[in-house]
Amino acid sequence: MSSPLSLRAALVFAALALLPLTPWMSKYYLLLAFDALLFGAVAMSLDLLIGYTGLVSFGHAAFFGLGAYSAAVLLERGVTSLWLSLGLAVVIVGLYGLLVSYFATTRRGIYFALLTLIFAEVVYTVFRYTQAFGGSDGIQGLPPPSLAPGVLIDTPARNYYLVVVYLFLAYLVCRTLVSSHFGRVLAAIRENEDRARFLGYDVQRYKMGVCMISAGLTGLAGALYPGRAAYATPDLMHWSISGEFLIMVMIGGLGTLVGPIIGGAFFILLQEKVSSYVQWYSIVVGLVLVFIVLFVPKGLLGFRGALLQGLRRGTP
Amino acid sequence: MSRNGVLLQVEGVSKSFGALAALTDVSLTVSAGEVVSVIGPNGAGKSTLFNVITGLHGPTRGRVLFDGQVITGRAPEAVNRLGLAKTFQITNVFPGISVYENVRVAAQSRTPEAGRFTSLWRRPDVDTTVMELLVAFGLGGRRDETAQNLSHGEQRYLEICLALATNPTLLLLDEPTAGMTPGETKDATALIRRMALARGLTLLLIEHDMSVVMGISDRVAVLHFGQKIAEGPPEAIRNNPAVIEAYLGGADD
Repeated sequence: MSSPLSLRAALVFAALALLPLTPWMSKYYLLLAFDALLFGAVAMSLDLLIGYTGLVSFGHAAFFGLGAYSAAVLLERGVTSLWLSLGLAVVIVGLYGLLVSYFATTRRGIYFALLTLIFAEVVYTVFRYTQAFGGSDGIQGLPPPSLAPGVLIDTPARNYYLVVVYLFLAYLVCRTLVSSHFGRVLAAIRENEDRARFLGYDVQRYKMGVCMISAGLTGLAGALYPGRAAYATPDLMHWSISGEFLIMVMIGGLGTLVGPIIGGAFFILLQEKVSSYVQWYSIVVGLVLVFIVLFVPKGLLGFRGALLQGLRRGTP
Repeated sequence: MSRNGVLLQVEGVSKSFGALAALTDVSLTVSAGEVVSVIGPNGAGKSTLFNVITGLHGPTRGRVLFDGQVITGRAPEAVNRLGLAKTFQITNVFPGISVYENVRVAAQSRTPEAGRFTSLWRRPDVDTTVMELLVAFGLGGRRDETAQNLSHGEQRYLEICLALATNPTLLLLDEPTAGMTPGETKDATALIRRMALARGLTLLLIEHDMSVVMGISDRVAVLHFGQKIAEGPPEAIRNNPAVIEAYLGGADD
């Protein structure tokens, strides 16, 4: 397991890259796939905190939203370069992440979660009531971003490819990270942070480090969102979005990276499909999630593992 | 590094928790290569003394020097990086990861990558260190077992492996044989002594089991109600009237 990219993962990404060539991928499905993979990537970066370090962040929507607003503010002013959007998102989310993680990592457990939530609510409120950012309407009607002068990302297919590339790179970063020296320390902190200190590890530094990386990846995902949606609204930062991110990680399978990607994609597809049939879709979605938590506590990835094990034993 | 000199100096340390004086004016010196034991009835302040030395608690008065440097007020991780490791009375390992991963995370804290940016993508090779330790403590065949599935005795050994993997010059052992059978205790004592000799380690240990203390120590210090009431070679301590009084007359063990 020296290479961060297994053969299986490479095949999956190849299949994702070929997906738009299939006949049934309409514009609608391409945009749906964009959302599924984008939020899958966000759930994966949140898994670095929850699954690998044992830190539950209840404020990841703020990182996502700040990334989205970074891109939106630039697009609104006619600065369409995607690279500038990504750069600004990293700077803004990085500064905010430094502030949050510095204070939140001084506390443990529920207090860590509450501090991330409180900071995120402050950010939400600021954007919700600042007219320069469009208040509750956010920033609407944005032009498409460009990769280079004249190369616009203006079709669902181009947006889709962008998110596939992003997910691919973010996956490599996460995979490398969790098997590195740093990643082993994160596992030690999750298992027993006091003992990790007595082995010479400055636990707070490691926690801040992983918070910043997770926040940065989430902010980058956020910066891709206005290119697809043509808007950034304060709703993206609402605490319920942070809650949805947590649910995505939980139903996918903690500490697996791939599980949360599947969890995020599953959540988005479920929500979209059910809501196109019934208005009370959140009840159905909620019931499905309760079912998963009760009967598949290790998440969808764990479910698949258990199923395979059962098949091998000949007792499905 | 002071050769053959004093490695650890505890100078007039007092520690109070509210109205409770856990330690009162305790001084203790440990020279390089020595094996020193701290004994005393329950509640005598032995663990508090260890917590002050390793940086978990700041002392109310007094100071601690390690290798000539004042370490009072430094965090446990900083003290550990100077070469002072500790094992815990109640087994304190990483329960949900494998035995091998437990020791690896300890061993890699002494690699050049530790605390640097390169640690984000590199994984230092500490396989030799880890396997040497596991084999020495009879855990070689259990390397892939999850730590929480080990027997009590094996967990006690893993506890010591974690501390040794950080390559300390001074090892503090807080009741290393706690909960072991007499047979296991004998083996463990012999093993600890062998490891200390082989690695040129200095040992400071808290122990309840008198057979362990008498067999392993060059010097013994006795705490009673937070005060040091005696110090000397094991035979002298065994016959010291104040010590006998403390153990037999005072708080029972």
